[in-house]
Amino acid sequence: MKILHKLWNNLHKFMALPAIILFGLFFIYPLTQGIGISLTDSNGISQPQFIGFQNFVEFFKDERAKKDVATTVLFALGSAPLLNLFGFVYALVLDRSFKGKSVVRAIIYLPAVISPLIMGYVWYFILQPDRGFLHHVLQNLNLGVLSGNWLGNPKSALIVLILINVWQFVGMTMIIYLAGLQSIPKEMYEACEIDGAGYAKSLWYITIPMLVQSIKINVVTNIIGSLSVFEVIIALTDGGPGYSTESLSIYILRMLYGSFTGYSTAVAMILFAIIIIPVFIFMKFIKTREFEM
Amino acid sequence: MNLTRVFSKYALVTVMALLSLIPFYILLYLALNTPSRTLFNGFVLFPDFHFANFSQAWKVSKMGAAIGNSLIIAIGGALLIILVSSCAGYAIARHQNKFHAIVFNILLICMMIPAIIITVPLYTLMKSIGGINTHWAMILLMASNGIPFSVFLYASFIKVLPREIEESAIIDGCTPFTAFWRVTFHFLRPVTAAVVILQGLAIWNNYGQAVFFLTSQLMRTIPLAVSIFFQQYGAQWNLMAAAAVIGLAPAVIAFLIFQKYFVKGITAGAVKG
Repeated sequence: MKILHKLWNNLHKFMALPAIILFGLFFIYPLTQGIGISLTDSNGISQPQFIGFQNFVEFFKDERAKKDVATTVLFALGSAPLLNLFGFVYALVLDRSFKGKSVVRAIIYLPAVISPLIMGYVWYFILQPDRGFLHHVLQNLNLGVLSGNWLGNPKSALIVLILINVWQFVGMTMIIYLAGLQSIPKEMYEACEIDGAGYAKSLWYITIPMLVQSIKINVVTNIIGSLSVFEVIIALTDGGPGYSTESLSIYILRMLYGSFTGYSTAVAMILFAIIIIPVFIFMKFIKTREFEM
Repeated sequence: MNLTRVFSKYALVTVMALLSLIPFYILLYLALNTPSRTLFNGFVLFPDFHFANFSQAWKVSKMGAAIGNSLIIAIGGALLIILVSSCAGYAIARHQNKFHAIVFNILLICMMIPAIIITVPLYTLMKSIGGINTHWAMILLMASNGIPFSVFLYASFIKVLPREIEESAIIDGCTPFTAFWRVTFHFLRPVTAAVVILQGLAIWNNYGQAVFFLTSQLMRTIPLAVSIFFQQYGAQWNLMAAAAVIGLAPAVIAFLIFQKYFVKGITAGAVKG
């Protein structure tokens, strides 16, 4: 009885356990298993054999895989700066007071609420080369020459995907900048105005330096998010034409469906390694603010 | 302020809002048109209001069952996340020791790791526990996906709550554990609201894992039902659009109702102070 009583009184010290067990079982445990599987020739059917680092060697010899790494990194390097630029400008515009401010903010956030897969299908309606909405509008405006097969051309397809990603998640970036903007004391701007500085100067000397933390967080989270992109690509180009818009995540799925289980897991571990670098940078940013984030 | 400045300000804001809304408008337009009128003929901005697409899409893609599955998994997952994450956040914020620090750091690292990385070993695990095509396993999996960010939100919030809140309850005879549930938990309402919306939507939109672990037709969630519609019925644009509208409507409605908490939750979680 006494032991039970003592346990009851100290139960709060074990309150993290359910979360640890659940997360351990469904994330940490599979992650450690994944390292093992990536070292085998597993195909999901026959008994897997240990083959050491052969899958990784294979990966670095695979032209398609190397191209996919480039596509993934390009996508992230294209998305993150654009998201931040537009998110920042949007935040500046919507930080000013006007009627219906919160409605407009909600509208701009709205696309991020929908699954990127479904939103990708909608964009497919719009961008279809011969029947899409954009094509019809351009035809009706006698600007048919501007209409093209944007998704069928390897170069423009990636740009289109980046722009759609920016369109969908600009609201998310904007909100983090808005929160940052609201934390800047108004007196700083007043002092700046007394000194005779205009909008551009106060933007450069007050707003941007005061937003450094938001900028860092936004840049890194956008990079991490874009590195794991796959839904919008599946909906719009399915990785094509050829493999030109295939991201690493899609490559992992393809290899998985092709029963190259061991190899696919090895590629997953490589993606994990690529993402963990910005994650550590991200953690450093949070650390400096001790939980404040 | 003079009139032109006011006008230009509103013009800019209107353009920004329209940019976000146009795809939604086009989707509704397609979904409400008769099959004979699929696209924009001669710039008629209003659709035919042909609602039959919806009932047909509902039947063909078995949307009712999909909404049911999505609701069960999203509600179950969100409840489980609240339960375990608030507890863990409390322990991490109030009992700071090495163990909790390590746990918190691991969760922080994992917060950003995409789930696709563990698909293969997870499949083996799901198979061995008999969890493929079951609601309970999907709820457990979705909950574990949401744990890192939710624990992070709860822990940050509890850290700035004064300790006196539970101390007086303990003097009145509560154990720290019961003090948490009876007192502190009620102060966590804003975070709980944000967690419900953020994680509920994330579970509702999950495609990458549902596609592997919910393979039976009866178990399909909304994104699966809509995607299968797109893959199989290539030519019926109006039906596809109607299915997509049905699929995204619950998320849009939920967001519009709870949008205040949603934005607050993200703001609190991201750049506080």
